[in-house]
Amino acid sequence: MAQKKTSHRTADEKAATQAKREARRARTDRAKVAAEERRKAEKRKQQLTRVGVVAGVLVLLVGGYFFVSSLGSDKADTPPAGASGDYGLVLGEPDAPRSVVIYEDFLCPFCGQLEQTVGEQLDAAVEAGEIKVEYRPLGFLARISDYSPQSANAFAVVLDSSGPEVAKEFHDLLYADQPSEEGPFPDDDDLVALAVEAGAEEADVRPGIEDMAFEGWVDGANDAASKADVNSTPSVFVDGELVEDQSVDEIAAAIVGTSG
Amino acid sequence: MKDWIGLVARLVTGGVWIVAGALKVLHPDESVRAVRAYDLLPETIVPAVGQLLPVLEVVIGLCLVLGILTRGAGGVSALLFVAFIIGIASAWARGLSIDCGCFGGGGYIPDAAEKYPAEIARDVGLLALSLWLVIRPMSRLALDTVLFTRTPDHDPTDDDEDEGSLDGAEEDLAQNR
Repeated sequence: MAQKKTSHRTADEKAATQAKREARRARTDRAKVAAEERRKAEKRKQQLTRVGVVAGVLVLLVGGYFFVSSLGSDKADTPPAGASGDYGLVLGEPDAPRSVVIYEDFLCPFCGQLEQTVGEQLDAAVEAGEIKVEYRPLGFLARISDYSPQSANAFAVVLDSSGPEVAKEFHDLLYADQPSEEGPFPDDDDLVALAVEAGAEEADVRPGIEDMAFEGWVDGANDAASKADVNSTPSVFVDGELVEDQSVDEIAAAIVGTSG
Repeated sequence: MKDWIGLVARLVTGGVWIVAGALKVLHPDESVRAVRAYDLLPETIVPAVGQLLPVLEVVIGLCLVLGILTRGAGGVSALLFVAFIIGIASAWARGLSIDCGCFGGGGYIPDAAEKYPAEIARDVGLLALSLWLVIRPMSRLALDTVLFTRTPDHDPTDDDEDEGSLDGAEEDLAQNR
């Protein structure tokens, strides 16, 4: 009897324990489901955030790209009157025995030294019909100063309005007055004054110099030079061959043909 | 500790990107010429690459410094460094004497061959830092931590209760097993 009672109580207890356990398990399951849902919701939220951030970064990239592409000049690549089709000014007899092409930047110190070293000799040889020379001014050093493209533009303005002779004189004066790469750099008024000194009329050159009238042409010249593998100034070609020598004196000798 | 290494990697790599990109971003023409001087890419894509690179550098740099999408930004950064190392090594191997154009400039310089080793070494170092961030993007003071950590978005008291029952549930599970 006692045993039965015990067993009966045990059965009761068992049932109670069972029920309790089941209740607990149900609670556990509910909690698990809830936790799972929370985790999923959080994951969704994180994914949304990620998509949003990635989209933001992409927008920044594309926007920046369009901004940067718009930085270039939108002016047409119109050559100044008297310019060659290769963004230069050709001087000398067309059938001169020697042809020289000089890519230069009015801000580049090395170009200034070259001009000082060989300028007069070259002028004399051109005068004598021995050399045909083409000056191709570039605005490669815009990172150093806007003076680089500004002076190239001014050269084009002077060429367009006042002809090759005044332009050549302006070219020489630009080098005679060349600023150092550290500045201070001549402004528009200085360029106009120099153009007038070279023989141009102020009224003819001032608007073009101030408005960068030939900016498109200067950009075109930079591009054409770069595509011709010219990526520094001065680059000198004699009879179509790049002068590979490094020193100013060597380049000067190659230009006038005294290098042997 | 490792998270602090991540922070340093982010700041160094990101800082270099921002400086390099900012120096070039306003002179896209020069950047295009610098890309062209390598003589590696077809002319049709040279202008686009030259214009996009500085922008990409600034954006990647900002992502790294702020710690946004650190793993992705580190991956792109690593890819770019691999590309630059290949570019510089190839210019060196072909006997080109060009400025790497890394921080503006570009094009011919006379003493390029002396500079190539240091440029490659620098890029290898930055590549290593970028790879670190791909492998272990978690780092100190990163916006990613704010954006992507599990943040309980319900009532704290409610939270405690849930935590309690969840703990109980786990105990029960243990007993049942």
